[in-house]
Amino acid sequence: MMAIRELKVCLLGDTGVGKSSIVCRFVQDHFDHNISPTIGASFMTKTVPCGNELHKFLIWDTAGQERFHSLAPMYYRGSAAAVIVYDITKQDSFYTLKKWVKELKEHGPENIVMAIAGNKCDLSDIREVPLKDAKEYAESIGAIVVETSAKNAINIEELFQGISRQIPPLDPHENGNNGIIKVEKPTTQASRRCC
Amino acid sequence: MADTLPSEFDVIVIGTGLPESITAAACSRSGRRVLHVDSRSYYGGNWASFSFSGLLSWLKEYQENSDIVSDSPVWQDQILENEEAIALSRKDKTIQHVEVFCYASQDLNEDVEEAGALQKNHALVTSANSTEASDSAFLPTEDESLSTMSCEMLTEQTPSSDPENALEVNGAEVTGEKENHCDDKTCVPSTSAEDMSENVPIAEDTTEQPKKNIITYSQIIKEGRRFNIDLVSKLLYSRGLLIDLLIKSNVSRYAEFKNITRILAFREGQVEQVPCSRADVFNSKQLTMVEKRMLMKFLTFCMEYEKYPDEYKGYEEITFYEYLKTQKLTPNLQYIVLHSIAMTSETTSSTMDGLKATKNFLHCLGRYGNTPFLFPLYGQGELPQCFCRMCAVFGGIYCLRHSVQCLVVDKESRKCKAIIDQFGQRIISEHFLVEDSYFSENMCSRVQYRQISRAVLITDRSVLKTDSDQQISILTVPAEEPGTFAVRVIELCSSTMTCMKGTYLVHLTCTSSKTAREDLEPVVQKLFIPYTEMEIENEQVEKPRILWALYFNMRDSSDISRSCYSDLPSNVYVCSGPDCGLGNDNAVKQAETLFQEICPNEDFCPPPPNPEDIVLDGDGLQPETSESSAIPEANSETFEESTNLGNLEESSE
Repeated sequence: MMAIRELKVCLLGDTGVGKSSIVCRFVQDHFDHNISPTIGASFMTKTVPCGNELHKFLIWDTAGQERFHSLAPMYYRGSAAAVIVYDITKQDSFYTLKKWVKELKEHGPENIVMAIAGNKCDLSDIREVPLKDAKEYAESIGAIVVETSAKNAINIEELFQGISRQIPPLDPHENGNNGIIKVEKPTTQASRRCC
Repeated sequence: MADTLPSEFDVIVIGTGLPESITAAACSRSGRRVLHVDSRSYYGGNWASFSFSGLLSWLKEYQENSDIVSDSPVWQDQILENEEAIALSRKDKTIQHVEVFCYASQDLNEDVEEAGALQKNHALVTSANSTEASDSAFLPTEDESLSTMSCEMLTEQTPSSDPENALEVNGAEVTGEKENHCDDKTCVPSTSAEDMSENVPIAEDTTEQPKKNIITYSQIIKEGRRFNIDLVSKLLYSRGLLIDLLIKSNVSRYAEFKNITRILAFREGQVEQVPCSRADVFNSKQLTMVEKRMLMKFLTFCMEYEKYPDEYKGYEEITFYEYLKTQKLTPNLQYIVLHSIAMTSETTSSTMDGLKATKNFLHCLGRYGNTPFLFPLYGQGELPQCFCRMCAVFGGIYCLRHSVQCLVVDKESRKCKAIIDQFGQRIISEHFLVEDSYFSENMCSRVQYRQISRAVLITDRSVLKTDSDQQISILTVPAEEPGTFAVRVIELCSSTMTCMKGTYLVHLTCTSSKTAREDLEPVVQKLFIPYTEMEIENEQVEKPRILWALYFNMRDSSDISRSCYSDLPSNVYVCSGPDCGLGNDNAVKQAETLFQEICPNEDFCPPPPNPEDIVLDGDGLQPETSESSAIPEANSETFEESTNLGNLEESSE
């Protein structure tokens, strides 16, 4: 039985770059053309094997709070990784990506794994952001970078595999939860048992 | 982002404090279109928590509050013939008597190093050391502190493209090294032994080596983001309304908590631990065998006091304090029950109130740990944010830094119909919920507000040392003179994610009788000593040393009823700021009442569908719908049955 590690991943990026679509593709292998701004689903999970561990990604969506620049600091708390998304067909979304990185550095945890996703790479004929620019920027901040298409399922798995590989191995000294209490109903398995 | 706001909502909420945020979440959950705005740049209003630099800029804001120049478009032109306006206040007058004292040493070396850039720093040192400073006590401004920070980064660090990364190394140890590093580089001769000792690398902040645990002001600045300093100091009763609501609504999954590990008492100049659970009582070394039996017997009675009316009949009219004297309890035990368990005072509680409080305390024991209280990791300020997230998840729209100029009232119907925001945009809505600090004073002029006195200290050790340096403690210091109030002291350790390693964050709270400093300084002096005095006396001082202290008064509007406001339209609801109490019941009750007015007969924050259920159960059906606004309601019905509320004891440690 492999150990399951829960990893919180937060999504960042401008409204409309495809944050939710990426998660939807990753978690449900599904793409919806008429996706509305994120409502109702605050996070999704997916478990993938990584070495001799299982990584259970708890992927938090912005819930639209980024729209008027009002993301709450609690959104970043305890994140192991952040996926910062821009739209390769919109130069503006790449400029603001840098603002999101800054925001993350100010409010996010230390040692957070940053992954930049240049989404909508299926539309490369109307591309505005060269891959080279993204690569240079990613290198300068020590982030992973990959161009993705949630629509055509390109590089979505790879994006998360890349994150998995960057997650430092479990520190044996940090076993257990240090007395941290989750005030919650029992998780899926437990609640399943009772109904 | 040139996004513009929609122009129509069902509910507009102004202010992001806890009661507003809960109400917003509840309304959004019930399908209302919610716009939630705050003129501030942060969530929580007076319920917020700040990093150290965030707190300094908050302080600065209050200093500069006096002259806000409005460059917003004039709204007066927009008011039609049949309308009138209620202008909202642009000044927050809820915080007063702010005083800051810095006792942590401000490195000589650094002063020299930064002399050019930061001349102000010298002024800062002098006024900081003078505890006699008048009301205009020094307030390090954001600019100063930030420039201190950036300047240090530039001068101290080895070339690095990203100063932040260099900061992101764990613990006080590294900071100590940086200090050294700084010394090496700057060639400023360390002049005194004192300086030397300050720059000794700090080993593990274990209890064995407290002497080396020396923290400077610049370290506090550098590690500033590790602080999450609450403006209000509260705890969650483990069976209180807020915990119940967090569980019921599933908002709890956005937060993590720690159990308060100790209840302390202050008697005869000593801090001691109060036994409260059965195991504690039996293990206690302070109590005699006889006392242990007495206490257990009394507490067992209190658990079910309603069943034994004979035990308290005839005592209803007297105070709990007097009542305790009639019980078989030694003075020692009377003190513990009165101040540390019932958390009341000699004069304020009747027998029945005291019994009820004692029962509540005992009832909350053991749900999550050995004391009745929980504290949210990263501070109390997380909680409003959690509810705001829930509101957003169900479609609520969030705008910080967005002020509302006025409410527009229809003259004929006497109902509020719209707001006009800072851009002059008119946004219409059915209901308007306003945090009371947004109302100008003349809306509520006949009222005498109560005040809360607050102090925040950063100290270098715990008020009661034990094997573990990671204790979270609550201590009640009874009032000394008539007319003053008991002081509640909450000491947080670094694992609560509210302060840097090697320090403690201490919150003091009481109902004001004078200014915060006048109210609280006597208690501070009993429990702590300023860092500077230590350098002279040096050894074996057991009291924790204060590195930095802040005092302020916060307005307590919790007892102001709606009727105090003149001429409020019936669809405008008022939320009060934080109250002085320890728990959060007041905020939850207020939110539920307001929700019932806005959405009569609807369920208050029912559990949302479990996202894991969406993913796991909904292969064919869910994908399209899980992102659409139609689904929350649909799902909630499906999943409500499967949610298992209340039986949470399993999840406790």
